[in-house]
Amino acid sequence: MISFNTEQRFIVTGASSGIGEGVALLLNELGASVIAIARNEERLRAMQAKAKHPENIHIEVKDLVEDIAGLPSYVKSLKDKYGKFQGLACCAGVGSLMSLQSISLEQAKQMFDINYFSTLFLVKGFADRRVNNGKGSSIVAIASIAASIAEKGQLAYAGSKAAIVASMKAISRELAPQGVCVNTVSPSMIKTPMLGDGDSDYYKEMLIKYPFGFGEVQDAAQMIVFLLSDKSCWISGQNYILDCGTY
Amino acid sequence: MNKEEFLTQMQDVLQTEEELSFDTVLDDLVEWDSLSVMATMAFLETSFNVKTNMNDYKSMKTIGDIARKAGL
Repeated sequence: MISFNTEQRFIVTGASSGIGEGVALLLNELGASVIAIARNEERLRAMQAKAKHPENIHIEVKDLVEDIAGLPSYVKSLKDKYGKFQGLACCAGVGSLMSLQSISLEQAKQMFDINYFSTLFLVKGFADRRVNNGKGSSIVAIASIAASIAEKGQLAYAGSKAAIVASMKAISRELAPQGVCVNTVSPSMIKTPMLGDGDSDYYKEMLIKYPFGFGEVQDAAQMIVFLLSDKSCWISGQNYILDCGTY
Repeated sequence: MNKEEFLTQMQDVLQTEEELSFDTVLDDLVEWDSLSVMATMAFLETSFNVKTNMNDYKSMKTIGDIARKAGL
């Protein structure tokens, strides 16, 4: 049984919706303190209102791409405010479709800024020995099935997520001497706002491929929270694909 | 960069909560490992335009040795 205490603080980005929200709420339910980061305060408050222990959800409104190079200092300032952290869940990301024919350099870079570089520099901040709890601390970054198997239109998204998987492997080796675990989770179709409208042709076309149907936010959140917990302390450098055997 | 600023910067480079002085022995710091050496190499190159390699650090025993390499 996984449980936490309020002295175990977790940073969750993208905490106002989708998988990030699910992770924040589950960590909170299991007793942890959550520093919930997202751009939209209103939606963060709405997430907090659903929490079992709302007093242990600490809201931080922040646009992570505003100053990516400054993210390590930002994480350090959070540590000064709240104390050292037990874990980091990087759930913020975007998933827009762009074809090779239409993509511009600016769009491609923007995708990497949001999905890859902001994650990388948050991890850099968390990895500072003065910021995390050392042995037993854990980082989970959300990648995507697209990092392994991409559909048309996902070239930039898939690239940014594959970059996360590859970099986290290297980072897991760098942080191993500190006892910090680093893993990625690669969800496939999970019912989040990113997935879009259930009436779309794309949605219906994809659903046929999934013998178990699309995943729920809880399915991804449970895995991520397990990897953030002390029950997974011998797991690092892995990328877990959540597709229920579809691919 | 004066000597005090150097010590503050080295705290960030080594990610240590220890108060550093020029007499601090590198091997006494738990943070002093191969990754810290890489971070120190980058720091000397970026801030002092001093290029070093891994071997240079074998003969360095204290924070003061690094400062001298930086030209302080």
